[in-house]
Amino acid sequence: MELAFEGVNIRRGSIDIRISGRFVPGIHLVSGMVGSGKSTIAAVAAGLLAPTGGHIKKSGVNTTMLSFQFPEWALTEKTLGEEVSSYGLEVAGILARAGLSGREGDDPLSLSRGELKKLNLACVLAKAWDLLVLDEPFGALDCEGKREVCRWIESKRSSIVILCTHEQHILPRIDALWEFQGHQLVFRGLVPGALADWTLAAPGLKALVARGIIPANISERDLREAACRIRD
Amino acid sequence: MIHISGLRHGILDIPSCRIPAGHVAVIGPNGSGKSTLLRLLAGMEEPVQGCIRIGEKSPGDMAIGWVHEVPGRNSLFLRVDEELASPLRFRHYQCEEISRRTREVAERAGISHLMDRDLVTLSGGEQVLIAMATAIISGPEILILDEWDSHLDAHTAAALQEQLSGLGVRCIVQCTQNMDLAATADTVILLSRGRVKAGGPPREVCGKCADSCWYPPSWRWREWNLPSRG
Repeated sequence: MELAFEGVNIRRGSIDIRISGRFVPGIHLVSGMVGSGKSTIAAVAAGLLAPTGGHIKKSGVNTTMLSFQFPEWALTEKTLGEEVSSYGLEVAGILARAGLSGREGDDPLSLSRGELKKLNLACVLAKAWDLLVLDEPFGALDCEGKREVCRWIESKRSSIVILCTHEQHILPRIDALWEFQGHQLVFRGLVPGALADWTLAAPGLKALVARGIIPANISERDLREAACRIRD
Repeated sequence: MIHISGLRHGILDIPSCRIPAGHVAVIGPNGSGKSTLLRLLAGMEEPVQGCIRIGEKSPGDMAIGWVHEVPGRNSLFLRVDEELASPLRFRHYQCEEISRRTREVAERAGISHLMDRDLVTLSGGEQVLIAMATAIISGPEILILDEWDSHLDAHTAAALQEQLSGLGVRCIVQCTQNMDLAATADTVILLSRGRVKAGGPPREVCGKCADSCWYPPSWRWREWNLPSRG
């Protein structure tokens, strides 16, 4: 299973977003600053936006899902129960996962943005997809929600998971690291080796690397373990 | 001073709370009532029961700058330059003054290169920058920011947060899930299920959360003798 970008560029106003490379099964973190092109790449990968130039080749990818940065965009139904059912999922179980038990009849737009985000992710991550694109899944979630969503994402490692985010502190264990250099998405490599080249890493992680300590991965637990190596 | 008394509104149940003016961060789990409290402080909703005063005034009687958590819901116009100039145009400023202030604020917010773009073509983070600039352009007495930072990378959020303190706005109230940003406030209010669970200086409120993810990550890095800022 593979998603390959061959010399792809997307024109957006006066800027050109560029990407070449292959996404294989595993969790791929796409890191980038505001306006670098994370959401554009997410939309192109999910097939919602056609590139201006270049080729995208999918092999063995039969099912694709995109979780939007703004969960309101994905709403189709008038109640939480109907919304969950629209994914073909069992209502009570999903609402419990989202912390919304007993609210089947509520209007999705009555939820806070964080609650709506978690509901969307509970639905999207409850199903199996060949290609799963998550655009800023941690935006608006509280820290406990972020930890829980990390666990959900980690259970999807057999799919191609493209995780576009600017979150720095609460992250799942990933397999590959991609990073925007200006508006070009660059493959930094596999983790943990790639962490030494992660320009947008949290300052603490950079300091660890500068001391020659490379964390096994980027989850909270990995960073804590790496920091303990300093204190020993 | 923000004074809340006998407040019941939606999930909120706050018998009494006094918050010193300055920079206030409201934190708490999703669905705890943060946005509801901010809408009341902005005068966008009237309390069902109870009263809120900011200094001597009701929120509805004040000039307030507001940034919505969903950036697209801030905007009234299609183009960035029209959106940014709109608060001044509504107040019938002279054209030269509008141009001068618009240029000045755009430069300060780092959005000069976006001025001729359509808002719908911007990234979520860029839309937040436009919303923030539009909220401050007319010099509000109080600035209310509803999780504006959730769409920004850490570098941009920290740079903007620093700018906020130099704006000369008497009172800034923001809710955030970024505990490092909350730790830069003068006062932190922790909401849980609509009630004020704790309030006070960041060291007092966040300091009690050392065993949880509500503890500012930068404090933890510092305790590990690692730099907390780039």
